Amino acid sequence: MTKGMKKYFKKKIFWFIITFIAAVILNFILPRLMPGDPVNSIVGKNISPGATQEQVQEQMAYYQHQFGLDKNIFGQFWDFVKNAFNGTFGVSYSQYPRLVSDIIGSSIWWTVALQLPAIIVGWLLGNLLGALAAYKRSFYDKALMPLTLFFSAIPAFGAAVILLVIFAVTLGWAPVNGAFDPGMIPSFSWKFISSVIAHYQLPFWSIVLISIGGQAVGMRSMSIYELNADYVKYARFLGIKDKKIVRYVFRNAMLPQVTGLAMSIGSMVGGALVAETIFSYPGLGMSMYAAINSSDYPVISACTLIITVMVLIASFLLDIIYAFIDPRVKAAQFD
Amino acid sequence: MKHTLRNVFHSPRFLVGFIIFMSILLTVLIYPWFVHRDPLQGLGKGFLEPGTYVSVYDTNNAGTYRVELPEANENRLESTIPVKDRQTMLDFLKAKGVDVSALDTSNEKFHELIEVWKENYDEADAKKNKYEGFSTQAKRNELRRLNNRLSEDTSAAMSVTKGEGDAATTTAVAGSDYVKVDEVANSINLPLGTDNFGRDTLTELVKATGISLLVGLIAGSIATALGLLVGLLAGYVGGILDDILMFIANIFTVIPGFVLLILIYSALGAESRGIVTCAVIIGITSWVWTARSVRSQVISLRNRDHVNLSKLSGHSLFRIVTTDILPYIASYVVMAFILQVSSGILAEAQLSMLGLGPNPNELPTLGLMMNWAKLFGAYTSSNAWWAYFPVILMIALISFSLNLMNTGLDQVFNPTLRD
Amino acid sequence: MAKKMLEVHELTTKYITRQGEDVYSVDHVSLDIEEGKSLGIAGESGCGKSTLALSLMGYYFPPLHYTSGEIIIDGKNISGMDPDVVRKTVLGSEVAYIPQAAMNALNPTRKVGKFIEDVIEAHELPMDKKQIREMAEQRFAKLGLPVEALDKYSVELSGGMRQRVVIAISTILSPKVLIADEPSSALDVTSQKMVIKMMKDMLANGMVKSMIFITHELPLLYNVTDDIMVMYAGQIVERGTAHEMVFDPIHPYSRGLMRSILVPEEGTRDVKLTAIPGTPPNLKHPPAGCRFADRCRYATPACKVQQPPLFDIGGGRTYRCSFSVDQLKEVYAHEDE
Repeated sequence: MTKGMKKYFKKKIFWFIITFIAAVILNFILPRLMPGDPVNSIVGKNISPGATQEQVQEQMAYYQHQFGLDKNIFGQFWDFVKNAFNGTFGVSYSQYPRLVSDIIGSSIWWTVALQLPAIIVGWLLGNLLGALAAYKRSFYDKALMPLTLFFSAIPAFGAAVILLVIFAVTLGWAPVNGAFDPGMIPSFSWKFISSVIAHYQLPFWSIVLISIGGQAVGMRSMSIYELNADYVKYARFLGIKDKKIVRYVFRNAMLPQVTGLAMSIGSMVGGALVAETIFSYPGLGMSMYAAINSSDYPVISACTLIITVMVLIASFLLDIIYAFIDPRVKAAQFD
Repeated sequence: MKHTLRNVFHSPRFLVGFIIFMSILLTVLIYPWFVHRDPLQGLGKGFLEPGTYVSVYDTNNAGTYRVELPEANENRLESTIPVKDRQTMLDFLKAKGVDVSALDTSNEKFHELIEVWKENYDEADAKKNKYEGFSTQAKRNELRRLNNRLSEDTSAAMSVTKGEGDAATTTAVAGSDYVKVDEVANSINLPLGTDNFGRDTLTELVKATGISLLVGLIAGSIATALGLLVGLLAGYVGGILDDILMFIANIFTVIPGFVLLILIYSALGAESRGIVTCAVIIGITSWVWTARSVRSQVISLRNRDHVNLSKLSGHSLFRIVTTDILPYIASYVVMAFILQVSSGILAEAQLSMLGLGPNPNELPTLGLMMNWAKLFGAYTSSNAWWAYFPVILMIALISFSLNLMNTGLDQVFNPTLRD
Repeated sequence: MAKKMLEVHELTTKYITRQGEDVYSVDHVSLDIEEGKSLGIAGESGCGKSTLALSLMGYYFPPLHYTSGEIIIDGKNISGMDPDVVRKTVLGSEVAYIPQAAMNALNPTRKVGKFIEDVIEAHELPMDKKQIREMAEQRFAKLGLPVEALDKYSVELSGGMRQRVVIAISTILSPKVLIADEPSSALDVTSQKMVIKMMKDMLANGMVKSMIFITHELPLLYNVTDDIMVMYAGQIVERGTAHEMVFDPIHPYSRGLMRSILVPEEGTRDVKLTAIPGTPPNLKHPPAGCRFADRCRYATPACKVQQPPLFDIGGGRTYRCSFSVDQLKEVYAHEDE
């Protein structure tokens, strides 16, 4: 690892840590600004009629202690951080006494298994299409471009709904919701896995389609820009063949695309989560949706924290990958 | 400036986008003049397909005219069970394994078809066995409704009794009795049917589009203004201020905007979820992109000769920024604004889809309409395409037209991108 | 007589604009260069000298199109050749081009050494990577460039160094003709000197057999090239040896150019500085008569109607004007009084 890379990594790690801390703090503070006292509502739900004032107080104190609300703000924050690292996020308000980690434990994996490949595939295909469009600037480009632009303007949930209606409801080719057939117990049997794969198709392809649109347009502009660069003209005049020049161009155009992915991965995940809710796919999207609808703040808080951390990690990983593909980083020529 | 404007309006992409967007805007503004209905007024219970609905009660009160349509009988037979439905019957029978080679969808074979159907269709049986092509709830509902209609007799004598007891009068209804539609007291034309609440989807759509556009506009303006301010300060003043601002920007980048939206929005509670609040929050969480773009432009500008000249001449910071820098970044700001409006509309839609949108009891938005469609099974249990598809189309069109305008502008400002 | 490396006969090339109009940027230009010699081409911006440089390569990228004329390099006529053949056998190997602002001419993500490999491979020469590297190192050493530069990216080199590296790469196949388009314009004075020295050395030791040096900075050419040619509005207006052109220009434009700059030579004190008013004509609709007539202080009504031919007065001296040399000299003499 060269000096240039070390410098680059140091900088990126520094940012990673700082942003992580800021994220944790935000995820802690904001939900606690909610109006209304959650303890009140729980006690109100669980109290039996005819209870005395004393008993009510007792109950309230009990729950307050349960939720750690009897400590001061720093105590609560410390609890929060500790719990986060332990993987426990306290107890759910709406599904009391179920643990938050229990509720969202499996959701995470479903989401990661869906979104990670989908976004990657969408990105790759999108860039390929964009590069092709830039290279063959023929009729296809003029006709296809506005079409692609239109399809990339369809929001994530829109594509999800349309695919759902066409393929699941009307044609019956794919199942309508869930990650696997209801009534099946998760196991490593072939039956289960094939059911999962069948349910996986629609959410997967809708996320891929959305990503393609956005990437293709950007890559095309980037490629056109590079194709007009001075070094392309010079290389031509030295007799270098077009095939080789094209490789130069797309290699150079890809670099900002990777950076772009790191920046937009946040919103891509957002769109994908909404798509999950359309398919009732049991990922983080659904957990969060349910939590929002029942004002279950611990779950909301935990979901947002996890999503933030996932996006942060993904972004960080992309930065690291970038160091290996842009040769200028090695030479410390990167600003 | 005039030259730029001329180029802009000559750019085909910009023009197309502009026309689409303006058409939508004009429709939103002009529609309420013609249709005075309250968009949130329920007109019925549940989904109604697009079409014209005429009150049966008032039809019977309207004056009748005698009209003899030559195909009246055929139409009657047809409308009870149209060809499409007869095909469905054939398909079901085929799926069940019944021999239908002698049957078809024609009028001559109609009675035979009904007989074979009555022999073989049973609701419980269909549900249990899930015949191929008819396994979903929606399909089975269709079969059930079909079966019900088959039990009616279309050529029976009909009469209408008005009033009760001694005051009752009965009038016979002849097959040749027709009413003139505009003489019927109550009828309504619903080009897009009704949603699950029974609201006129078209009127609701127009209103929702207007609200969403407003949200997008407010959010976009705030985001652009913030982004411009931060970008200018960070880019021009530089130094520590730049570092601090970019630090904040980085945090906003990596922590997904929608996460912040969710957190802030939930924190505010349901009461304060107005349109403006929603727009403001979207605005203050999405300024980063604009800020970055402006900042990099300003950095490349600040060392240009004309800026240095102004500095030497002792012009104030404010003056330098407004006269020497702003005009050069104007094109970027305009493009950024368009993008921010577009993403603002999408952000509101996403928020509403998650149940975090503006208060659904006050005003509809495009996102809220989508949410209702989802919650009330518009695409899963009922095939109410009119409740969600026009909404998706509208969002896509708005987004598309704005993006097209942006591409057009991009081509004008960056000649290398021209075809 | 020495062998002619480059002969150009009545070359005409045009640009086709997006509106479909023809702009004849190079209009019936003829020139030749002998082996071991260099030719400087001077003129103001837009006179067509850069377009001429591109046109001499024999390969035309739209919107530039070849119309008519011949280009003969070392006896080989390349004007009718198949473009793909030109690309493989002529570009880079027979004729080499050094672009303006060579700073950006190198791919920012490719090391210099690797790029040189690409160039050699493109010409399908039977050399393996080791041989290529050796040759590159030899070349660089000979031209006074550090061998380490081969392992660097273009961004890691200074402006002057980058320019020299580009020159080295352009000439790596020892072309017959080297065409340099404003090679020193974007550099500081010291770098300029190094670049010019490098190019003169290359010519002297045979790395390139002939050279064309294009610039708008006239004083530069005096110590650099053997001959100087002045272009105006797509045409040649005068050609002669460097000394003749600087101290004894015939064409009013050349004279105007020389007199609008201070050349710190003997006799400078007595020279009056004059500027040439006006702007060059629009080549979409070239004027009927002499193209310089509008700005020429000696122009007569006849000048605006009649196309002046290019007169050859022997010894490689040519000029384009309706007046005779004596007539012009007389007018100039009057002015100097």
